[in-house]
Amino acid sequence: MRYSYHRPASLDEASDMAAALPNARFIQGGTDLMVRIGQGRERPGHLISLRRIGELTTIDANREIRIGAGATLSDTLAHPDIRRRLPALAQSLAALGSRQVRNMGTIGGNLCNASPAADTAPPLLVYDARVEIRNGRAIRCLPLAEFLLGPGKTALQAGEILVAIVVPDPPEGTGSAFIRRGRVTMDLAIASVAASVRLNGGASIAIRVAAGAVAPTPRRLTAAEAVATPTDDWSRAAIAAREQIEPITDLRASAEYRRHLTGILVRRALTMAAAASGQWSIDR
Amino acid sequence: MLLTINGRPHDVHVEPFESLASTLRERLQMLGTKVGCDRGECGTCTVLLDDVPVYSCLVLTRSCEGRRIRTIEGVATANELHPVQRAFVTHDAVQCGYCTPGQVMSAIALLEQHALPSDDEIRRSMSGNLCRCGCYPKIHAAVKSVAAAAVEANDDR
Repeated sequence: MRYSYHRPASLDEASDMAAALPNARFIQGGTDLMVRIGQGRERPGHLISLRRIGELTTIDANREIRIGAGATLSDTLAHPDIRRRLPALAQSLAALGSRQVRNMGTIGGNLCNASPAADTAPPLLVYDARVEIRNGRAIRCLPLAEFLLGPGKTALQAGEILVAIVVPDPPEGTGSAFIRRGRVTMDLAIASVAASVRLNGGASIAIRVAAGAVAPTPRRLTAAEAVATPTDDWSRAAIAAREQIEPITDLRASAEYRRHLTGILVRRALTMAAAASGQWSIDR
Repeated sequence: MLLTINGRPHDVHVEPFESLASTLRERLQMLGTKVGCDRGECGTCTVLLDDVPVYSCLVLTRSCEGRRIRTIEGVATANELHPVQRAFVTHDAVQCGYCTPGQVMSAIALLEQHALPSDDEIRRSMSGNLCRCGCYPKIHAAVKSVAAAAVEANDDR
């Protein structure tokens, strides 16, 4: 048979299949891959569906929050611990695509597709998430920032499987938020920003900012984090953020507009995150 | 392979990369499910898979073995429209009608999960179904009326 469809029941079986079929592609919800196949942009020899592998879909929130890469976007969004402990991630999931897309797509697929505009990436970056990768019978871990390498490019080597995303529990008093702007709900983001904030009165203890759709990969904006303070209404953070991105002009927006928008979103996301932390009210 | 559609088994031969929308329309002549964009953006091809709405143009048919597929053909009984279908007629929520099967499937899924959704929940939940004619206010009113009628019926009991 020239090409075919496979449904392994375990990670071991999936790894062995990928090793035996060099022109195979893994598939989860299919919301990205099926579009490319339909348009003839991709023609894998074999498809290996990971849907039957139960351990890929579990979400474990006992200490760190471990999200199976095969958990659907809907199931991740519906999880009470994710809503309560990782609100910026929940906000990004609620903004992602439509109900149908969220019912099909998976959080691992959103990361493996490696779109510069991947909605779940900025919040996962500010939460310091790492990814767990299966290589044959071995497991390796990477910070998410080292997993996303460029448009459509991840650190996954041939035959490797993204197994889980592990997020440390944010410390008590952390507030976080996610904002995205697109032309319409269903379209990719023009720019998106996630922020997490921990304050002691007006003093910054830990600030994190990440942006999507304004560089080859979603990225942490460390220059903005370094100068971020609520006492100047986050102005310097917004200016630094505009400098640290590398936006492009495409059919959705010009580079200049993306730069302008990112400054505004950084300020708003930090303001919302600070308010959520309970340490700094918006109208103070 | 064996597909379970609207509660009935169908034995079909499908290609490895075939979409569920193609299988329904081209192999089973179930033409109620429409295809608009064929790339997961318009919602016209919405069907329920294990009771949740999905875009059938992006679902691999081969992944549907053992799962419950519900299409617009299974919604009405022999002599009676589904309450959602009736509400679409009453509220004139149809202009050209092409998006209607997908809209009805999304509305049914929403109302099965939330008997009384808020206006905002209706808008969010239905946002994956585009209507090129712009019948959104009437579609919204139709969905809302079904929810309200269900509550009234419950109160009467």
